[in-house]
Amino acid sequence: MSEVKLGTYICRGCGIGDRLDTAALSVVAQKEGKAQLVREHDFLCSADGVATIRQSLEGGEVNQVVIAACSRRSKTEAFNFENVTVARANLREQVIWTQPDTPEARELTQEMAADYIRMACAEVKKMHVPAASANAGTNKRVLVVGGGVSGMTSALEAAKAGYEVLLVEKTGALGGWTAKLYKRIPFREPYADPVETPVHELIAAIGKEPRIKVFLNSTTTRTSGSPGQFSVDITAESGNTMTENVGAIVMASGFSLYDANKLPHLGYGKSPDVVDQAGLEALALKAAADGARIRRPSDGREVKNVVFVQCAGQRDASGEHLTYCSGYCCNASIKQAMYFKDANRDIDTNIIYTDLRTPGNGEDFYRSAQKKGVSFTKGRVKAVESAGGSLTVRFHDLILNDERATVTGVDLVVLATGQIPNSGMNIELKAEPEKADDGHGPSVEVPVPVPPKAASVLNLTYRQGPDLPQLKYGFTDSHFICFPYETRRSGIYATGPVRRPMDLVQAVEDATGAALKAIQAVENASLGRALHPRSGDLSFPSFRREGCTQCKRCTVECPFGAIDEDEQRYPVFNEGRCRRCGTCMGACPVRVISFENYSVDTVGAQIKAVDVPDEFSEKPRLLLLACENDAYPALDMAGMNRLQSSAFVRTIPVRCLGSVNTIWITDALNSGYDGVMLMGCKHGDDYQCHFVKGSELADYRMSKIDDTLKGLNLEPERVRTYEVAITDIARVPQLINDYAEKIKEIGMNPFKGF
Amino acid sequence: MTELNHKMVEQYRNDFLKEVEANVEEGDWVKMCMQCGVCSGSCPFGPDWEHPPQEIFMMIRAGKRDEVLRSESMWMCTSCYNCIVRCPRELPITHIMHGLANYAHRLGIAPKMNPTRRFAKIFWDNIAKNGRVNELDLSVKLYFMDGFKKGVKRAIEMSTVGLGMLKTGRLNPFGLVAHRGCKDKKGIQKMLKKARELEDRRRGLATRGA
Amino acid sequence: MATVVATNETLLVVGGGISGMTAALEAAETGKDVVLVEKGPALGGRVSRLYKYFPKLCHPTCGLEINLRRLKASKRIRVLTLAEVRKVSGAPGNYAVTVSVAPRYVNENCTACGACGDAVSTEIPNPFNYGLNNMKAAYLPFSMAYPQRYVIDPSIIATGEAEKAKAACQYNAIDLDMKEEVLTFNAGAIIWATGWKPYDAAKIQPYGYDRFANVITSVEFERLADPRGPTGGRVIRPSDGKEAKNVAFIQCAGSRDRNHLTHCSRICCMASLKQTTYVRERCGDDAKSTIYYIDIRAIDRFEDFYQKVQADPTVRFVKSKVASITEDQKTGDVILHGVDTEGYHRYDARHDLCVLAIGMEPSVDVRAIADVSVDVSGFIEASIPDGGMFGAGCASNALDVNRSVQSATASAMRAIQVINRVARAEG
Repeated sequence: MSEVKLGTYICRGCGIGDRLDTAALSVVAQKEGKAQLVREHDFLCSADGVATIRQSLEGGEVNQVVIAACSRRSKTEAFNFENVTVARANLREQVIWTQPDTPEARELTQEMAADYIRMACAEVKKMHVPAASANAGTNKRVLVVGGGVSGMTSALEAAKAGYEVLLVEKTGALGGWTAKLYKRIPFREPYADPVETPVHELIAAIGKEPRIKVFLNSTTTRTSGSPGQFSVDITAESGNTMTENVGAIVMASGFSLYDANKLPHLGYGKSPDVVDQAGLEALALKAAADGARIRRPSDGREVKNVVFVQCAGQRDASGEHLTYCSGYCCNASIKQAMYFKDANRDIDTNIIYTDLRTPGNGEDFYRSAQKKGVSFTKGRVKAVESAGGSLTVRFHDLILNDERATVTGVDLVVLATGQIPNSGMNIELKAEPEKADDGHGPSVEVPVPVPPKAASVLNLTYRQGPDLPQLKYGFTDSHFICFPYETRRSGIYATGPVRRPMDLVQAVEDATGAALKAIQAVENASLGRALHPRSGDLSFPSFRREGCTQCKRCTVECPFGAIDEDEQRYPVFNEGRCRRCGTCMGACPVRVISFENYSVDTVGAQIKAVDVPDEFSEKPRLLLLACENDAYPALDMAGMNRLQSSAFVRTIPVRCLGSVNTIWITDALNSGYDGVMLMGCKHGDDYQCHFVKGSELADYRMSKIDDTLKGLNLEPERVRTYEVAITDIARVPQLINDYAEKIKEIGMNPFKGF
Repeated sequence: MTELNHKMVEQYRNDFLKEVEANVEEGDWVKMCMQCGVCSGSCPFGPDWEHPPQEIFMMIRAGKRDEVLRSESMWMCTSCYNCIVRCPRELPITHIMHGLANYAHRLGIAPKMNPTRRFAKIFWDNIAKNGRVNELDLSVKLYFMDGFKKGVKRAIEMSTVGLGMLKTGRLNPFGLVAHRGCKDKKGIQKMLKKARELEDRRRGLATRGA
Repeated sequence: MATVVATNETLLVVGGGISGMTAALEAAETGKDVVLVEKGPALGGRVSRLYKYFPKLCHPTCGLEINLRRLKASKRIRVLTLAEVRKVSGAPGNYAVTVSVAPRYVNENCTACGACGDAVSTEIPNPFNYGLNNMKAAYLPFSMAYPQRYVIDPSIIATGEAEKAKAACQYNAIDLDMKEEVLTFNAGAIIWATGWKPYDAAKIQPYGYDRFANVITSVEFERLADPRGPTGGRVIRPSDGKEAKNVAFIQCAGSRDRNHLTHCSRICCMASLKQTTYVRERCGDDAKSTIYYIDIRAIDRFEDFYQKVQADPTVRFVKSKVASITEDQKTGDVILHGVDTEGYHRYDARHDLCVLAIGMEPSVDVRAIADVSVDVSGFIEASIPDGGMFGAGCASNALDVNRSVQSATASAMRAIQVINRVARAEG
């Protein structure tokens, strides 16, 4: 498509024709927007309107399209044309619906609309139809790391869908923790009794599944590449290493139990008759193997009285132990109490808890235990003491408010300790921060992985570190409630207790979902398409090597670890890992990074296209860069609710505030804009940025822009960053109006007309 | 009946829950309580309970045998059934309360002066003797159970009710001297004796003395 | 209008809430064709009616926006709204599905300009706000409704009101002659993501939901707190419009109860903890929230949120299942009666407003339509081996949003296995 032929289509529907002089807009499109073809239509999204556009596309009259009508969020399917660049001028939601329908307001409303036409025409000319990367990886095999129930489930599910799987297990056998269980918590009706674990069934199924290749006594010692083309070294205990290619990775490395040795006050380590839940499973398995009852470790006598201590070293607000709840332990203790009761109803079993947490049908299981005679006591255990061949449990009975309650003559105490994720290295632990300083902007701290305390699980060769970033307490969970599988390393999905404390039922469900994400990743990778949240996007970042100063800022700031560095410290973009947020583009001080359809130029051209009146006009111009995920929809919905806001604002949606390059700000101010507003998602601990770090990085960059403003002799208020949620429908117009007031106060930008 | 009490203490060695399960009507349900407290909050006599039902259940599990059995609490129950209909675990709380009261009474450790217990005893003795209630005898025994003075006062308070009952033939004015029991009083008494024997045997409450 | 092109390699997803949308999107983004059927006029389901999510206190419509964008970008999903599955026959890999589509009286010409809504004066209870306010009988279900298309309520059909709406539309988008349509098509696998409904609070007699204005449910409370809701986000009492500062939350309203729902609904503890922050957000230090609970079930990292709320001095926790509620007729205050079981303290506590943390039950009994098995609570059971129908989200269990999405993703995997099996068999 060498010759640019721009068609601009202006809709007169939904009141646009009444409120605006569309003929004048056509002239703007033609004269200033340099559109070869301008058409007005009374009802552009109708079949007839869309056909008009299609005809001119098919007839070769145009190869670039500007739709001047409603928001890009409306009628998206109607205006979806393949293999052609399309820009939308939002004349409805953000022009006529935000301005009063009065004769006095007409002039400013018309100016707004004219600017949006100019902007769209300017933008579309800088856009190119993205072509999928030529480097797409087409390997569709799935690597599963970890041979517990989570890993085995992921492997089997992917195989059942027709995909080949490599299953790597560190130990000599599949089964993980579950293999060490006597029985499991029931997972379907009648939720009454412990049932057999699925381990043997799963191992047998894997044995029969020709698509799964199992590597026992093996670990992944090196992982490089990207979705569709990972290269993995699988090293056996013997030292033999095989290099395999896979398309996606499921990390199911499981959990370890919290070290009960840290709980001496609960008697662990002091008496052999104090065990953790794993210890009890071992006793139960041994008893089953011997065909005998569960016996005390100390003297082999049958256990007649057992106490379960819930939340042992968990839910500890002091921070000394685990602060979180592992979620499965109440049901697990109930199950273990049943081991005793099912064998001999005369055995005393007492579960001491503060909150009994058996969600869902766990309630039936709880009732079943009560029916079997398991006693439940709401209390806080203070100490477990050993004397005279038996144990005494001292606790605060919270119901009877008895601080000195005891259970005496106890044979065995079981501590319900929590799950600790086996997530490998914490890549965000900082040692000496490495400075990325390029002389072009603020320096940033480069997190450098500390020497591993825990061995890495994946041994990624990524510049950003060898394992998945951790969310909290070492769990590699997603931060997103709506998108639990979102990971910060594309094509690599954590599943099972490594990402969140969970029981077997949840682990199986989770592992099945993770297997789906893995096969989805390979399917999309093979087509060069982006993964969530810009699923299907074919654009990817490229950079102009000759302009690059090797400053590393893009590699450091990429929230997804998509960019490595080559030997000469130039960035290497792994397109398969890229989520297309544009953070690298926003970060680049020399502006060499761009996407085909989204670049420093596509936005810069829009900024420049706006007609900035001179300083005596009393018509300031405010640039609003709005995150397309939350702020832009909020602005649209404000319009839908006819909430009015300043006619001086010109809004440009951005993929993420992280993609905002400071050049846009300085260019805007240099060309006479009076102020710049940035609206992005919340950052901080409960961040809502869909690209994790984008809004935070933008905030950081803007906090450093003050110096630049000072250098220009401009007030710091000329640039403002706001955290906006999609529900801020009433707030966004207010923010705009307040800001317009503020600018009025501090006066017009002295750079106008230069 | 302290002998029975000793026997039970001996037999259950501190496992009061098991004792209750074995010997108290519907006692098997006690373990099903999840300590939500809806029963305690639902009882119209709630504020007068020393230990409300849910707490009694917890005390049973905690082995507080004496405190439970010697308590006045379960004697407060008026069988309104509010607790039963609201209990999320469907415990027959009313029945358990009566069961506990009865058990404490059988063991001879129920609070001696508890008015409910005393009324129940007077009523039972009255009806068991003749096979039907002797209203006059019952009223007199009830009113005068705390002494002559109080008895006269109560009798005067209730005189209109008494007169009404007289008029309608619901109260035999000569009941103290000539009460007509049911037919075959001996047969009734034999039946009741047998029933108790059977129940005691079933519940393991039989002692040498009883 | 509608013909649905579907084959036995097509996946049918029933229910357009977050679970159904997720299942549909995950499958479509894996390259499968999907028909997504939603009973209501718009996608989004129950979560779109929540003000915030726990524990992040972020907004559900944020995720909805992303999901809608994914949907608009996907060419593999066919969405049918106002549609209900009537019958399913056949076997895994080859189902025949009958779907009825109720008339919307508005066709795809609609630009959502709002002229019909302005023209109509009849008002009807707004189901999006659980009937807490009224809306015009020509309406857009909510600002983010997809499809972004108005609906004419059947109640005004064949009245002058409908004619007014039609006359106001400049785009020939209103078709008052629309009739119910019945579609039949094939599907290889079916995901039931039919969601949940709040337990009928009026059945919990001692709490007087049907008698006392200031006893409301947790789902209604979400609407009160939402700036897009019937009160513009003001938490006010239904009785007199007074701001509610002293709010009681009753846990296990219907759940964990042999008289009502035997299961624990899992989400309600976290929902109430979250809702205390709404009171706090509005009333600051004057806020007073009291949570009456049996066990606080804040599992896994939710515990952090529980600890955060515990640290708020305006929030009190009382371990008690409230026995009954009475109303002070003069003030409209509600008085909660019960016993704090931790140490036995009796209370008769006066509150401005009482929120019942209402339990979750499956919204439809799928057994009436298709051959699935359900558990004692009515939730769809895990599929039999080699089955072709799967429950997802709250149709399969009482789940929070995160777990619903996991469940939906897993169900998409299971459905894809069926479809790939069909594809392999057909070569």
